[in-house]
Amino acid sequence: MNRPLLVALRLALGALFLWAALTKLPDMNAFAQDVANYRVLPAGLVPWVAAAVVGIEMVAGLALLIGLAVKPAAVTATGLLSVFVVFLVQALLRGIDLRCGCFGGDEPASWWTVARDLAMLAAALVVSTFSGSSRLRAALQE
Amino acid sequence: MATPVQAVLLCVAGAALGIVGNRFTPRPAPLGVRVVPTADQPGAICEDPRASIARISVEAAKPLCVACTAVFVDARSAQEYAAGHVTGALHLAPGQPVEPLLAGLRAAPTVIVYDRDRQCASANAVATDLLARGLRDVRVLTGAWPDWLAQGGPGESGACALCTERKP
Repeated sequence: MNRPLLVALRLALGALFLWAALTKLPDMNAFAQDVANYRVLPAGLVPWVAAAVVGIEMVAGLALLIGLAVKPAAVTATGLLSVFVVFLVQALLRGIDLRCGCFGGDEPASWWTVARDLAMLAAALVVSTFSGSSRLRAALQE
Repeated sequence: MATPVQAVLLCVAGAALGIVGNRFTPRPAPLGVRVVPTADQPGAICEDPRASIARISVEAAKPLCVACTAVFVDARSAQEYAAGHVTGALHLAPGQPVEPLLAGLRAAPTVIVYDRDRQCASANAVATDLLARGLRDVRVLTGAWPDWLAQGGPGESGACALCTERKP
């Protein structure tokens, strides 16, 4: 009964990651600028990290969607989302006004963005913890 | 194979795909080039066209100051404000209570917040707070105080007469 819930979380997370990557592809240059505006990474590293992040989002999203290597993909998503949250929070606390760069476009970074990433992080944690085993069912049946 | 190892391999594969695939995108990330924050780029002081808070140039703001059709808010420290500020500007640094100034700010058609540096962090924080309190037209001054001075914007010195009820 709760297996569908886990599958739904996995598919939603995979779709979001894939969508996030696809929306950045038309303008990777702008995404690199978004990454730079967080003022965390050395300038020379920024474009490499930007390109790598999009690739990782794509691979993790695809893996979650097709159900291949789900646990590693969910662990990767957990790590990425944790980093995103740290980047966002430090920027907001420092008063940096910037676009979040989450799904391409011009969405500003805000506490709402942090809340959304935390919700996705919770989903990724659930998927990484319970996928590939019967632990979810066992936990929910207790 | 352990999950963490698989996750690392997945990251490496994804990163490689992203870096190789980047060159085939319409506007690739400039690998090998230093990408600095927008506000630090030459001639782009506080001028991020993708910023969420509206900007206004010194050139456009000066007439509003002279005609008193905008209220200026100085987001720097009290000491910096006292040393010199836009004529008639109020002092409101990030974290200071807004309430004593709110009525006056609400009555202004436009509020222009300015900062001391290229990042406009303080101005952005104050502007964000004012927008959250329902003010509609709040803008951050591009170029900040240094450009205002350099372009001959009207200024004065001394403590904020309208802010005297507040502790600095």
